[in-house]
Amino acid sequence: MAARNGKNGLLEKWRIDEKPVKIDKWDGAAVKNSLDDAAKKVLLEKYGYAENFNLVDGRLLICTISCLFAIVALIWDFLHPFPESKPVLAICVISYFIMMGFLTLYTSYQEKNIFLVSVQKDPAGMDLNHTWQLSSSLKRFDDQYTLRVSFTDGKSKHTREQEITKSVGAFFDGNGTLVMDQFEKCVSKLHNTLATEKKTK
Amino acid sequence: MLSLDFLDDVRRMNKRQLYYQVLNFGMIVSSALMIWKGLMVLTGSESPIVVVLSGSMEPAFHRGDLLFLTNRVEDPIRVGEIVVFRIEGREIPIVHRVLKIHEKENGEIKFLTKGDNNSVDDRGLYKPGQHWLEKKDVVGRARGFVPYIGIVTILMNDYPKFKYAVLFLLGLFVLVHRE
Repeated sequence: MAARNGKNGLLEKWRIDEKPVKIDKWDGAAVKNSLDDAAKKVLLEKYGYAENFNLVDGRLLICTISCLFAIVALIWDFLHPFPESKPVLAICVISYFIMMGFLTLYTSYQEKNIFLVSVQKDPAGMDLNHTWQLSSSLKRFDDQYTLRVSFTDGKSKHTREQEITKSVGAFFDGNGTLVMDQFEKCVSKLHNTLATEKKTK
Repeated sequence: MLSLDFLDDVRRMNKRQLYYQVLNFGMIVSSALMIWKGLMVLTGSESPIVVVLSGSMEPAFHRGDLLFLTNRVEDPIRVGEIVVFRIEGREIPIVHRVLKIHEKENGEIKFLTKGDNNSVDDRGLYKPGQHWLEKKDVVGRARGFVPYIGIVTILMNDYPKFKYAVLFLLGLFVLVHRE
């Protein structure tokens, strides 16, 4: 992630990957997001897995298509003022709300709470890669953060899961700065438990 | 670079997340647009929600009232009923009562309107040379109303800088804030 080429020079100056993460400790969404991001960092940087974007891309695609319907409706109505544009508008509006329904179903059933799908490439070069998934939950106004690591074996397609629930107070200091060391230890422990289970099987 | 802390979240985002933030903004705008267009289709009116801008219909409607309109072809226009119409070449819809109607055998009508609180009929408002309104000028008939809420719209139109500032801040908030 740090090795961007000069083409993205401006983006590189803008991004602040190395600055310690400081958020408003009372903002539940920000807390969860920063913990999720940190967990992602651990898996991607420390263990060198490659992120698989299919899940996120699916959601982006659904949203893009919905916006396209809205844009078509806008342009058509502009070119053919109201009463003539009624059928096209009706189709666009209905399609838009169907896409919204799709989106809700997708986020609830496909994505669930998964925020990372990564692939552990087999160093021996054999085709079968293992998949590591991270999902998490943090209830509103609650301080118990649950991180779930799931490992899917490339060959047997078996999935093993391990989760841990801890108070967010264990990972943030009084100012809202994320203490990466503590959190990394926690994530690594979770990861290694699953990895060793794999070896013993 | 400026160190604006509230942008920190955005600076940590990768390309996909940035695109999602923009999409998020687009979806909110699209949802509002689709609801408006949907209302247009459902009610058959090109402006299903209007704000009463003047006191010309007091005591029935006051400045700032929000009106919900429908414009069904089957609704006959009769003397004494309130219609919302637009004068050719003007954007602003007017809410007044029908005073006189001339009706042809095939159902075509020409009608004259007047605000309850005005002392003269609307001929002074019509286009120069126009003495009657026709069905095509009608935006709809009021079917329901909510008092006072429209004052916000009036304020936004009277002080456009305020409107742009509010919209800009809202847009910025949506773009920067992560779900």
